[in-house]
Amino acid sequence: MLSYLIFTLTLGGIYALLALSLNLIWGGVGMVNLGLAGFFAVGAYASALVAIAGVPLPLAMLLACLIGAAAGILATFATIRLRGDYLAIVTLGFAEVVRMVALNERWLTRGSDGISGIPAPFRAELGVDGFNLFYLALVSVIVLAVFLTMRRLDLSPFGRVLKAIREDQELATFAGKSVTRFKMQTFALSAGIAGLAGALYGHFQTYISPDHFQPLITIYIFLAVTAGGVGRPVGALVGAYLVVFFLEATRFLGEIFTVLEPGQVAAIREILVGLALLCVLHLRPQGILPERIAPAPKPETSP
Amino acid sequence: MSSFTFSRRGFMGGVAGLAATGLVPHAVMAQDGPIKIGALTPLTGSGGPYGPVMVKAIKAVAAEVNKAGGVLGRQIEIISEDDQTNPEAGVRAARKLVDVDRVSAILGTWASSVTTAVAPICWESGTMLATVSGADAITALPHQGYIIRTQPTTILQGRKFGEFAVEQGVKKLFFFSPQTPFADSQFTNITKAVKAAGGETKSLIYDDKKPSYRSEVDEMLAYGPDVIVLGGYAADTAVLLKDIFRAGYEGKKIAFAYSVNQKLIDSVPPEVVEGIFTIAPSPAESSSAYKRLVSLIDVQNPDPYTTQVYDQANLVIMAIAKAGAADGKSIRDAIRSVSQAEGGTVVDNAVDGLKLIAEGKSVNYQGASGPCDFTAAGDISDSQFRYEQVKGGKLKLLKIA
Repeated sequence: MLSYLIFTLTLGGIYALLALSLNLIWGGVGMVNLGLAGFFAVGAYASALVAIAGVPLPLAMLLACLIGAAAGILATFATIRLRGDYLAIVTLGFAEVVRMVALNERWLTRGSDGISGIPAPFRAELGVDGFNLFYLALVSVIVLAVFLTMRRLDLSPFGRVLKAIREDQELATFAGKSVTRFKMQTFALSAGIAGLAGALYGHFQTYISPDHFQPLITIYIFLAVTAGGVGRPVGALVGAYLVVFFLEATRFLGEIFTVLEPGQVAAIREILVGLALLCVLHLRPQGILPERIAPAPKPETSP
Repeated sequence: MSSFTFSRRGFMGGVAGLAATGLVPHAVMAQDGPIKIGALTPLTGSGGPYGPVMVKAIKAVAAEVNKAGGVLGRQIEIISEDDQTNPEAGVRAARKLVDVDRVSAILGTWASSVTTAVAPICWESGTMLATVSGADAITALPHQGYIIRTQPTTILQGRKFGEFAVEQGVKKLFFFSPQTPFADSQFTNITKAVKAAGGETKSLIYDDKKPSYRSEVDEMLAYGPDVIVLGGYAADTAVLLKDIFRAGYEGKKIAFAYSVNQKLIDSVPPEVVEGIFTIAPSPAESSSAYKRLVSLIDVQNPDPYTTQVYDQANLVIMAIAKAGAADGKSIRDAIRSVSQAEGGTVVDNAVDGLKLIAEGKSVNYQGASGPCDFTAAGDISDSQFRYEQVKGGKLKLLKIA
């Protein structure tokens, strides 16, 4: 049971990184990135491949970050004139392109067989249980660091510009802000975090394949950010852990309601995910921990 | 600020509540309780049509054994999880089975990517993994014997396709397939068989979501084959067949039985599919195990995966009895002594097998999917194949060999 909790928390941490990444781009600049799984995949593959080639793991993970960010810049170049639904569709397409490349470029990615035997840090030295604990600590520390950075960013002038762009792009341009540059920086940072999450996932599971990066995971992360509160890092963080706990807790339904067939339990779990999203949107559309917008300072009045 | 405190408290309560539901099964865990076996099948996702029947078969075997008194004096409990046909979700499900339920074996993983993702968890925790996945790479993993699979490898399947094409007098064979885990290996093994008979081959990998395959078909016609092999799934094969028919190709066609099935045949004009040969690993339909399975789960013509998990459940239960212990390592060490014991009494179900084992006799299980003999790597060593041909909108059996 303990090892299961450790595993769930580790996975929650990886989801949290993805949620923070999405929150930055969606909550910050208001760009809907349905291609999250694509950047996740880019990071996972990049880190796995260079690590297998013999690059030390910390360097491999850093490289995954950079390659993820580069992919982000590439994606922004392609989509810079798009907003709203159009951007969403193109990013969804991006994720599929990544999956197709992973599926078909067998010389690099071993196709649908996937890459197994990805090195895991200190696994041999620590043993299975020790490794799991170590990895939980590693992921948690990284999540904390990224979270603090995101919060700092959120409250900084940079974060304010992002929100200005989100609310009114033209106005931000008027105010002298280079919208394109800000968008590109943010997209790159966001994609870099998703890439890091991918790298952490790959080295944790030791196996990745194109099937891992189906749009399903993007949907879970959108659920996490929506439930937690769009536009506030702590909301995304909480939302991600909640979603993982929710997904795992619903497993035990079948043991409580023993009359249900396994197929029915599985279907109910899927329905519950949808229902949870509906409930959140209906009862608390702003999320559990909504964005806090400081009131505009009062105009100075003469004494 | 006060509203924030409130929502945090509410949130903490929620988390605690959710976590508490996770603790429920822990309380009922005990050493002398039932022997737990996990069923990890695709109940949702693209494997969704197969999973529920597979679980049904596994549970039916357990119920039968429990009724006859269980094994080692303990009852068997089947715990079913959904792998969602997705390796990420499959891993989470497997961790729950291994860490919370402490199952001694996991049966039924279907998609090759799910099996490969789950495999390390199994061999590290000493849990037996029996799978129906076909990708060759699976048994090449460093699994220390913890994996057995009842699905014939693509090496074997490819060879059968090639040999059948040779029987049809092939000179030039063209292989059409979407990108699948087995496309490469299948083509290589077809080529091996055809080349040995003096023929030649060419392959084309296509995208399985295209609405039309005109350009692919043109490429095929330019090659001028007398036999084409279709390696796709039902949806893309239906589209491809129509385009092949329109292009006026008149040579022979060979396809997987799971793609050119009755549903596909009914959905396209009869002349499009007339004369296609289909090949499939055959369940041992004439075997007594197959007949028992049909009456046990009340499903006519159970698919190969269902027959395979039925065999997996029987084998694992008998291995537990043979070893006298219910842990994964004992199952691993004992499973071949019930699946292929030389000179053992032939049995077709665990209930009979358990009686014989209790009397100290050795058993040799002959299952619903085939003889169920495993190589050292965990692959099935032989399997029967079923050859059919579409005639007048119906599949006609040619032979089982």
